Parts: sequence; C-alpha cells; structure tokens
Amino acid sequence: MGRSFHLARFELRRYLAHRSDLAFGIALPVVLFSLMMVALGPDAKFRGVMHVADLDGGSLASRILERVENADGVAVRRYTRDELADALGRAAISTGFVIPPGFSASVESGAPASIVVKSRGSGSDEGRFVTGIVQGALRAAASEIELRRVAGVLVGDPANDARLDEAVRQALAGARTRPPVVVVTESMWVREASQLDRLLAGIVVMFLLFSGTLGARALIEERRTGTLERLMTTRLSAGELFVGKFLAGIGRVVLQSFVLLGLAFAVLGMAGPVVFLQCLVLAIVVAAAVTAIGLVIAAVARTEEQAAFSAVVLTMFMSVFGGTFLPTSGTGWLDVLARFTLNKYATDAFVGLFGEAATLADQGAELVILGAVAILGLATAGMMFRVSSSAV
Amino acid sequence: METYLEAEGLTKYFDGVAAVEDVSFVIRRKEIFGLLGPNGAGKTTTIRMLSTVLAPDVGDVCVGGHSVIREGDEVRKRIGICPQELALYPELSAVDNLVFFGRMAGLSGREARARARTVLASVGLESRGNEVVKKYSGGMQRRVNIGIALMNRPELLFLDEPTVGIDPQSRNHIFETVLSLRAEGTTVLYTTHYMEEADRLCDRIGVMDRGRIVAVDTPTELKRQVGDPDQTTLEEVFLHLTGRSLRD
Ligand SMILES: Nc1ncnc2c1ncn2[C@@H]1O[C@H](COP(=O)(O)OP(=O)(O)OP(=O)(O)O)[C@@H](O)[C@H]1O
Ligand SMILES: [Mg+2]
Repeated sequence: MGRSFHLARFELRRYLAHRSDLAFGIALPVVLFSLMMVALGPDAKFRGVMHVADLDGGSLASRILERVENADGVAVRRYTRDELADALGRAAISTGFVIPPGFSASVESGAPASIVVKSRGSGSDEGRFVTGIVQGALRAAASEIELRRVAGVLVGDPANDARLDEAVRQALAGARTRPPVVVVTESMWVREASQLDRLLAGIVVMFLLFSGTLGARALIEERRTGTLERLMTTRLSAGELFVGKFLAGIGRVVLQSFVLLGLAFAVLGMAGPVVFLQCLVLAIVVAAAVTAIGLVIAAVARTEEQAAFSAVVLTMFMSVFGGTFLPTSGTGWLDVLARFTLNKYATDAFVGLFGEAATLADQGAELVILGAVAILGLATAGMMFRVSSSAV
Repeated sequence: METYLEAEGLTKYFDGVAAVEDVSFVIRRKEIFGLLGPNGAGKTTTIRMLSTVLAPDVGDVCVGGHSVIREGDEVRKRIGICPQELALYPELSAVDNLVFFGRMAGLSGREARARARTVLASVGLESRGNEVVKKYSGGMQRRVNIGIALMNRPELLFLDEPTVGIDPQSRNHIFETVLSLRAEGTTVLYTTHYMEEADRLCDRIGVMDRGRIVAVDTPTELKRQVGDPDQTTLEEVFLHLTGRSLRD
C-alpha cells in the first residue's frame, strides 16, 4: 500500500511537469472563468442591481438611492432616461426604475410623488428582489418625513429648522436603539442558486470529467512505452500499480477542483470555508468516479487516439445532456437521458452547495450515485487491467 | 562454474503461433551471456519470460534458485532489466526516474537517492542528472535506461539491445559499464545485432532462430564449428547458423 501512495505522489509530480495537461486542465478553465468574470462585470456577485434613471437629483432621491446601495446584495447603476429605455428595449435588463423630475420637492411640500418601476413582461426574480429593497427604502424615507411633519406641528414652529432637525434626529435615534415594535426575523440569509451557479458548477464538473477520462491516454502511453511492464519487474504488484494509478487520478482531479472551485467562488463572490470544504469533499467523490471511468477507458482502448476520442465524446455527451449548459428540470426523454450522465448528479450537488440552500448531508442521493459509479467503474477496470499493450 | 539461471523447455505462443519454442539453456554466475538471433527470433519474448513479465505457456526458469512461476517476487528482488525500447519518464529528470524506480524496487527514499548518485556516475551522467530526460541525446537516454536497471544492485542484469542507435563514445561507455559490473560479480544477459560487440563482450553466446536455440557456446568454439577461429568472424558463424534469408 505504501508503494501505491508513493506511486501516486510520483504521478502527481509528473502531472505538474506536464505542461499541456496543466494548460488544458487548469489554465484553460482559469482563462474561461476570468473571461466570464469580466463579461459579467463586478455586479455578478450581487443578487440584484437597481437600474435607475434619477431624473430628479434632489436630496430625497439621493437619500433613497443611498439606502438601497447600503442594503445587502444590491448595487445601484445609474442611467439617463434614454439609456434606461434602451436597455429595457434591448432586454439587457428586465426591470428599471425612474425617479421623475421634481420628486424630492414634491414630497417635501407634502404632495404625493411616485417612483416608476418599468418591467419587461412580469419582470424577473432579480427585479422583484430589488423592488422589495427599494420599497423598504421608500418606507423608511416616508416615516422619516412623516415624523418630521408631526414634530413640526407639535413644535409649532416649522420655520425653526434647527430645533426641528434635532428633535427628529433624537426621535429616530431613540427608535433605532429602543424600537417600539420590532419584527424578529428568524430565517437565515441564504444565498439562492442562480443560473450562473449552475453554469459554473457545470463547467467545473465538465473539466473534472475531461481530466479524469483523458487520464486514460497517459496510462496507454505507459503501456506502449513499456514503463508499466518495467514496473512489473520491480517489487510493485499489479494490484498496487492499479491502486496507485487510481489514487493518482483522484489526487490530480482534486488538485484541479481546488483551483477551479476557488475560481468559481471568486466569480460568484462567495465566501465561507465551510461551503468550500464541503465542495472539496464532494470533489473527492466526483474525482473517484471520473478517475474510475478513465481507468475503464484505458482498459478498453488500444491506442492513445482511441482513448482521447472516447474521453472527449463521453465528456461532451454527458455535459450536454447532463445539464451543464441548460437546466434539465423538464420532463420527457431529455430528462430521462440526463439521469444516465454523471454530470447531472455532480452538477446538482455542487449547485446545491453553491446556493448554500443545502449541505453535503442533503446530497445523499447524489453522493451514493457518484460513489456507485466509482465502485462499479473501479471493479470493471480492475478486472480488465493490463500492463502490456498486446496479447500476452 | 556455478549455474545462476536455468531455463527449461520455455515455450510461448502468440495467437497460436510459437514465438519461443522449447528453449533451454543455462547462464553461469558472473558471466556475460549473449543472446543473438535475427529479428523476430524470440529474444525479447524469452527475456520477458525470464524476468517474470510474461508467464511461459510451457516450461519454467530458475533464477538464483527461485522459480519465475512460483516465486516471482524472489526473482524480481534479484534482477534488473533494461528493455529494448526506452521505458522511462522523459518529462522528468534522470535523477527522478532513477529514484522512482529505485523506490519501486524496494529502496527507501534515502537509499534510492544515494544509489541514484552512484548509478549516474557509473553511466557517465553525474553532471547532467537533474536535466529532463527528453532533452538528452539518444546515447544519454539509453544510458539512463540502463541506469534504472542498476538501481536495485541486481545479481542478474538483462540488457536487451542496449546499444541501438548511439555513437561509438556512448557505446564504449556502455561496454565499460558492463565489464565493470561483471568484475563486481553481476551476471549479465546481453542481446545485440552487432556481432563484433558480442564477440568482444560475451563469455558465452546462445544463438536463437525462429523461436529455438540453435547453438550455445563460447565465441571461439562457435567459430571453430565454421572454420579457423582466428580467421572467422562471429558474423559468418551467425549467417551459417541462421541462414541468409530475410526475416519479417
Ligand atoms: N505481444 C505479442 N503479441 C503477438 N506477437 C508477438 C508479441 N510479442 C512478440 N510477438 C512475436 O513473436 C516473435 C518474436 O518476437 P521477439 O520480439 O521476441 O523477437 P526478437 O528476437 O526480440 O526480435 P528483435 O531482434 O526484432 O527485437 C515475433 O514474430 C513477434 O512478432
Ligand atoms: Mg527484441
């Protein structure tokens, strides 16, 4: 067993010395993710963006926007009236807000005023989320104005702004420290999985599958050049060799997951070592499954070209039908097909963890299926394992 | 002299065709035994059976008192094999290759590193051991290929065409290495297509043809079968024994 571990360690060093493998397995996804990050912009880490045309520019409008900006998970992006109309027209955004001219003045003089929400169709989840935040900000501003008005009446000297301001300020401070009524919200803030989560998880899984299955090439190359046969003249047994190659495959894929998951977390603006650790544990199970599939390919294929072809076709097929690029939450034959892909289970499990809606414990079914793939693949590959390239 | 290896009736079929048939011979301790024969004669297949890689269909081999069939692990402790094709990791350095195979042969990390230094010196690569093997010349790669076989201080060394495609300098260095190994007590099985090489190095020679051993003797005695040993070359003996027809 010790020799298997040593073999695996050696394999990892070979992997790190192998530039083209590194380029494909790590550098390529790094570039891909960086491009996605640039394309999606810094807003990607927010749950919502308030797209607003502030045609008023008054102090009240500014205070409201400031409140929205300070809320968790929301960014404010400003437009002119035409830009906003154009963005909505192009469907670049689904919900926009317009603060009409004279808004602040109107409110301050006691006349009614409104903020206009423009949606495409029924809007989006993001739009509704942002609208909720904006309404909250408006309510806070409204109660402040109301308080000011009442205080003004009580003081009876609306012209004496300094005293009025002081009274309102104290009242608001008091309300903040000792609120007369509070709502205690016990739900935890949970990051909901987005379309982007699914895309990133899918791409991570696709690359892990690529590395696991393309590992078959290296094994066949070793069969061809004779290093495997040579190893059989050392003290290493065929069993130890097989286990060593399996461990090496897992190590390689987990190393790659570490980098790719780190990137995915950066793109999604996620923090939290606990979530990351759970993702890594899941990655080990995925690595075992994809490595076992790679070993089966190595056992079946006779040449490196056959192995590369099988690996690419299998990975692309499973990625497309397993929901890497499109969700598989339909019914019908596509959904049935998805169940025969490793990607579906791996991607779903990662998305669950990314969304923080689920922990590893909730992914029992997925883990069992991935584990079963690993065990079945390993058993098959183990039975067919050979060290020489031709009939013996 | 004491027998170190004894092959008895070795036979191997590939797809129903015998690649090696009823091959029996002995190699004595501390001798350099040459195995000669045309392409496809069955030399490599024989070596693969002698070194436990390939199980014989018929027959057995006894190496240092142990059967390759029943005591493969005991045999593997005692042998080093330098395959006909380069079997190493070209993207790594010579040192890394040597240490890795040394560890797989049962050395500890420290032993393997120390042994790698000695082996590098004996194959004339001490100053370039940390460069990656794929940047080496053909001769240097061949020498690493041999070096790997020396890592476990084998009692019996198999060298399957170790001098293919290299310059006279590298070839000479390999000869010297082989001769000094014999002087240290190593038994060597050596195959080659260069007859003058075999003549110069080998104490005894076995000639194979079409899977069978057709003659085993010292170079001088083999020559005597054809004519005056001082006037005859080993090449003439070889062509006499194996004929002049081309092989597939
Ligand atoms: N794994 C294999 N499967 C099928 N046939 C094989 C296999 N290995 C060798 N042979 C055949 O067995 C015969 C002997 O081959 P072998 O490699 O032992 O010859 P050799 O004497 O080493 O030749 P060379 O001088 O070219 O190295 C050849 O006809 C070869 O084609
Ligand atoms: Mg050969």
